[in-house]
Amino acid sequence: MDFMLRKEHEMARTLFREFAEKEVKPLAQEVDETEEFPRGTVDKMAKNGFLGIPVPKEYGGQGCDPLTYVMCVEELSKVCGTTGVIVSAHTSLCCDPIMTFGTEEQKAKYLVPLAKGEKLGAFGLTEPGAGTDAQGQQTKAVADGDDYIINGSKIFITNGKEADVYVIFAVTGTIEKRGRKIKEITSFIVEKGTPGFSFGTKEKKMGIRGSSTYELIFTDCRVPKENMLGKLGQGFKIAMHTLDGGRIGIAAQALGIAEGALERTIAYTKERKQFGKPIAALQNTQFQLADMATKVEAAQLLVYKAAMAKATQKEYGFEAAQAKLYAAEVAMEVTTKAVQLHGGYGYTREYDVERMMRDAKITEIYEGTSEVQRMVISAALLK
Amino acid sequence: MNLEEYKGVYVFAQQVDNIVNSIAFELIGKGKDLAADLGTEVTAVLVGSGVKDLADELAEYGADRVIVVDDPELKEYRTEPYAHALASVINKYKPEIFLVGATAIGRDLGPRVSARIHTGLTADCTQLDIGDFPLNPIPGKEQKHNQLLMTRPAFGGNTIATIACPDFRPQMATVRPGVMQKREKQAGVKANVEEFNPGFTPNNNYVEILEVVKAVSETVDIMDAKILVSGGRGMGGPENFKMLEDLAEVLGGTVSCSRAVVDAGWKPKDLQVGQTGKTVRPNVYFAIGISGAIQHLAGMEESDIIIAINKDETAPIFEVADFGLVGDLNKIVPALTEKLRAEMAHKN
Repeated sequence: MDFMLRKEHEMARTLFREFAEKEVKPLAQEVDETEEFPRGTVDKMAKNGFLGIPVPKEYGGQGCDPLTYVMCVEELSKVCGTTGVIVSAHTSLCCDPIMTFGTEEQKAKYLVPLAKGEKLGAFGLTEPGAGTDAQGQQTKAVADGDDYIINGSKIFITNGKEADVYVIFAVTGTIEKRGRKIKEITSFIVEKGTPGFSFGTKEKKMGIRGSSTYELIFTDCRVPKENMLGKLGQGFKIAMHTLDGGRIGIAAQALGIAEGALERTIAYTKERKQFGKPIAALQNTQFQLADMATKVEAAQLLVYKAAMAKATQKEYGFEAAQAKLYAAEVAMEVTTKAVQLHGGYGYTREYDVERMMRDAKITEIYEGTSEVQRMVISAALLK
Repeated sequence: MNLEEYKGVYVFAQQVDNIVNSIAFELIGKGKDLAADLGTEVTAVLVGSGVKDLADELAEYGADRVIVVDDPELKEYRTEPYAHALASVINKYKPEIFLVGATAIGRDLGPRVSARIHTGLTADCTQLDIGDFPLNPIPGKEQKHNQLLMTRPAFGGNTIATIACPDFRPQMATVRPGVMQKREKQAGVKANVEEFNPGFTPNNNYVEILEVVKAVSETVDIMDAKILVSGGRGMGGPENFKMLEDLAEVLGGTVSCSRAVVDAGWKPKDLQVGQTGKTVRPNVYFAIGISGAIQHLAGMEESDIIIAINKDETAPIFEVADFGLVGDLNKIVPALTEKLRAEMAHKN
């Protein structure tokens, strides 16, 4: 067992950190205030190959391992939660299912431009009536000659409207399973600009405000049969497999947010003086920082372990769920304490920590709430 | 009080501006059923000034007899002279049952008259039957037959009460408009008219009417509307809301919408029903082209009657709908509007 990062990982981390400091950090506050998608940053990340890190080189990616990708999301999220999730949704939720379940034609057509960063990806599963209960899909896809006709809508879609390629899920029929009728769900790749595919509401969010969260609307949207991802009726499995990987990405985002808040708090408490000395000299501050740092370290080990599991194991849902659950709850706790240790200043938008606290909350909710992670973990324990 | 003296079913034939209100025909229709059970007849009581010509219309809808109280004092509705007119009719003719429409006028008039002649009144009835009281015999208590059993919703519609008035006559009820069925009109039937004028002497209970204002229906706050015609994304575009406006106009309702419609910029936010819009409880809610996400249902599932029109038979809205139509709203809504328009024209 070796807890030392390999040299290429160290080098990659340095690259991500420099990019984050130079290109992302200066814009973080503005992106949050204006709620504008940081298109310029995305273009720069594409140039640097950040949008295809775990994708093999023959498909236009960097051919790195999941850990390298996790570190990229982590470093970006240290300065800007929005930028972290753009990369995570694109890579884990759109590139990964096409890489895992796509045909060679689909990979050539979609994965290559996605991995190169020429196109941006998104994932459409959630509906107004189907959040945690993903089986509750209402969107339908009906075969019609050589096409499928899709009708319905999706909500809360990260990278919505900004993305060019969408992996979406729809009900194609019903199947008997253990004597019960359940919905047969199938996955499709849908491109922006397909007639009948439009965008609805843009959500006004508490945090990750530069992340573009949109409703997708399908009105008699025709998709050719060759855009079916995986097999007919395999959609639910594809969604769950994809989310296992996505959870590692969100765990990395949560970890990054917590680390960023901790870094800033350590610096602030050394500078800020009350009663004639830095507040870092107060034992309460010291103990708070000790707790925060210990939890962040524990979260990091879980997240990295999950990334390694994805690289080496066939199944990694358990590790991913533990990493996401813990990292998200640590992010919430650490950012809340970070605001407290900043005092009144921490509550103003001039300082970064209030934004981090707002950004942290979503990590407990999206790509499976903390409660879902507990369901996954306990189900594995009680098998 | 000798209950045996009281005979016949009487209905108050409300008129305003010498136009008989539809409720009068509904009461006659119901009165015919009650009279048949009792082996008696229906008498309409027409009160007003210069209203004799209206009597035949009451006969066309089935009134066996019309008592006309015609006096200049009765030109416009005022509580005192009208109450005097009806109380006098009751004292003279001794009806067994007296029905009044639960309109604004009827709800004012009914209680006055019942207090004046000291009898029971059940308000806003939705069902009337002839039957036994008590419904099931109670040992040691006399069970009376041929009683008017008056049923009405109480506590905001959360309970249903059936009420009888066994010891006093007439048995009086105000009846909710639109519930009872009028009979088919028999054109050309002449009324058997009896004129009666108890004499009117203005007293200090006579109010003076300064002005009558005809209400012009402005846009109603959707939370106050009794009938809502609500459109969703399935409407396809803002221009198609004309269909809903037509339907709402026929029904005297108001147009509302789902969040998707507001987001698309088709309608203003103050018409939005749902979790982040307004919570409404109309008597009738039309959900047209609305899929019925829980966020929307939360704002309208308390409606008395929900009617859903949607092309997708698996839309969740059908789970809460009392009535559902699967099909193309562009065909259904105009057809429904036309049918209702014809029906309403017939009604008034």
